[in-house]
Amino acid sequence: MKILGRLYKEGSAAWSDAALTTHGEEAHVFVDEQSVLRDKLVHLIVSDRLGNVERKVIFTDGSVFATSDNDGIDRLFAGHRKKLSGLLHRLESNIRSVVIALLVTTLCFFTFVKWGIPWTSSKIAHALPFSVNELIAQNSLEFLDEYIFEESKLEKNKTDQIRAHFQKIIKPIEAEHADIVFNLYFRDWQTGEQGIPNAFALPSGDIILTDKFIELCSSQDEINSVLLHEVGHVLHRHTLERIIEATFVATVVMMITGDNNGFADIGLGLGSLLLSSNYSRDHESEADVYAFEQMLAARVDPKVFSDILSRMSTYMEEAKEQSTKQDWVDYISSHPSTQDRVEQALHYSECFKKGKLHCPPNS
Amino acid sequence: MKTLEFNGSGAEYFKIWIVNILLVLVTFGFYYPWAKVRNKRYFYANTCLEGRYFDYHATGKQLFFGYLIAMTLLIAYLVLEQVYPIGSVVMILLFFIATPWVMWRSMKFNLSMTSFSNVRFSFDGLLGGAYINYMLLPAVLFLSIYGVPILLAILLSMVDSPLTWLTILIAFLGVIVTVCLAIYLSALILKRNTAYAINSYRFGQGSLATNVETKEFSFIVLKTVGIGFLLGVASMVIITVLSVLLVGSQAILDLFNGLDDPEMLSSAFGMLSMILAPTYLMLIGSSLFLFAYFYAKKRAYVYANSTLDGNTRFSSTLRPGAYALVTLTNFFAVIFSLGLATPWAKVRVMRLILENTHVDTDSGFDEYITAKQEEQSSLGEQIGDAFDVDVEFGI
Repeated sequence: MKILGRLYKEGSAAWSDAALTTHGEEAHVFVDEQSVLRDKLVHLIVSDRLGNVERKVIFTDGSVFATSDNDGIDRLFAGHRKKLSGLLHRLESNIRSVVIALLVTTLCFFTFVKWGIPWTSSKIAHALPFSVNELIAQNSLEFLDEYIFEESKLEKNKTDQIRAHFQKIIKPIEAEHADIVFNLYFRDWQTGEQGIPNAFALPSGDIILTDKFIELCSSQDEINSVLLHEVGHVLHRHTLERIIEATFVATVVMMITGDNNGFADIGLGLGSLLLSSNYSRDHESEADVYAFEQMLAARVDPKVFSDILSRMSTYMEEAKEQSTKQDWVDYISSHPSTQDRVEQALHYSECFKKGKLHCPPNS
Repeated sequence: MKTLEFNGSGAEYFKIWIVNILLVLVTFGFYYPWAKVRNKRYFYANTCLEGRYFDYHATGKQLFFGYLIAMTLLIAYLVLEQVYPIGSVVMILLFFIATPWVMWRSMKFNLSMTSFSNVRFSFDGLLGGAYINYMLLPAVLFLSIYGVPILLAILLSMVDSPLTWLTILIAFLGVIVTVCLAIYLSALILKRNTAYAINSYRFGQGSLATNVETKEFSFIVLKTVGIGFLLGVASMVIITVLSVLLVGSQAILDLFNGLDDPEMLSSAFGMLSMILAPTYLMLIGSSLFLFAYFYAKKRAYVYANSTLDGNTRFSSTLRPGAYALVTLTNFFAVIFSLGLATPWAKVRVMRLILENTHVDTDSGFDEYITAKQEEQSSLGEQIGDAFDVDVEFGI
């Protein structure tokens, strides 16, 4: 068998028309019917097949035999080439495998984004020592105190009472997680004339309750349910997870845009924004479920959580209507998922009424 | 004059592209260097001049360690950004200082991995030149664009009566001086950058050379700015007419009056979205056209004034309109196909550009021989890739 092509001397631009044949374990190159080059097949380097791109066979003296007869080369070197490179070309040329690749790629991408990233992030977050959480939270409270919060205006015996209950809840949890110290803080948070009801946890275990939140709560159980929700965030290391997830998303975005033009960035930016809000919704429900499980164990009706949640959301809605200087951004950022969370709380409340100590979440 | 040809096709490249993505995904990104080589090789090895082909010779293995280090740096940066923002600022600063080095290494690596008709290219520009061209000169441009107006503002604030015809004249002159200075300096940077890059390119034992001038670049920049200005004015007129026709002037007035009233604002906002879409379209269209105009004009000028060893000449007949049309249609094709049209779009642009590139040679290429060169590390190239540093060395 004869393959027609061109022979180049090492590094030279000039070529002669040539033919390549094999005799047993040897390759011969002929120019004008004269044998000019011979080499053992095993010594030759054959470039990978890529579409219909010119194929190159490199000899030990650096000479290059180039040909467009890709099939000829494949047949000639059938027994001598690396399996892997041939496989790549077969994948690329077979229409069925391309369709499969398309489907698998879409599926993989979806699976990776939906479950892979949060799962891996959670594993990494829990593999790191807890002190990483303290590192992240460092100076956060000072920052918030300086720029956002004011001193709490609650009466001391009220806060002492809440603290006492908090200690009761937190003792067994701290006993289980020896490396975490939980602290409770009371702060006032105002925008304009209105107080903002909120509770949140720093990754270090510092939990902050705002005055307006305490004011809206009608029972100690309601406060406790929210505290447990915040403890859930801390134990699940959600802040750390969010950081790792953001890193993943940014890396994936970079890998996609690395292959694309700048305009695709617009769409990707929006996509990653939606993605991170999706992840944070997952975190909320995870913390909710933690709180509900704890409440079942402590024989408290999880319904109280839905009560305070609805009250807070109603308050925020009303505050918005009363306020004259609201920009339209607030319309978008209002929580659409409150309804789902309330339903989950009612589901756990049913479990409570049946006297269950554990209950699978409603998906 | 012989014209470059592109032998690839969108359908063929699509298969290579999708298999690449699949393998990158299932290997958790570790296949990326090999995918990159296959992508690049597809475009290089399908580019042909009179039966002679280009080729890209880097292997996945060569890129792999550079890739690992670059990814580690990128992840370190992304983590720092979240955990310790000051650290990430320091990293940006360090990266900024390293950028000319990254570009220099990148050009050295990529050119040494590129061949035409079995002969390798190389890049022998000095690192100092990269720092002057990619850092010092842009810094001077930046300082003067901001420096002149600031100086002027200080000067004006010292004058007692703020609004005489004299101060208005000074302010007006100041704006003119700033614009002229900006245009001149951009042209100077274009000239210096082009000269630095092209005069450092080697093909085998041969050298490329260019004798571009600041004056010509000034005209190109000036025309681009002028067209940009006209397009801006035209878009504004069209949008105003459209909004009056589509939405009605009453609704626009309502919008301004309704800024304090959320309900009114949201209804006005809904109507506004009707003119938002054409506005966005016009913005994209005109910026793509501007970019295409500048790119095509610059390319034609640089090619016409560059040679290989004084006896091989180049020319580019890429027309701004055709180039803009292809990039604009590509943009929509990629968006509406959710990215699946990317391979087709890339092949289309490549074909258009190559088929408008011509080479005329007196001596032919047979005498060229690969020059001895040191092995180049891929680290800089991969860092540039990870952090999106654009290194352009168009064929």
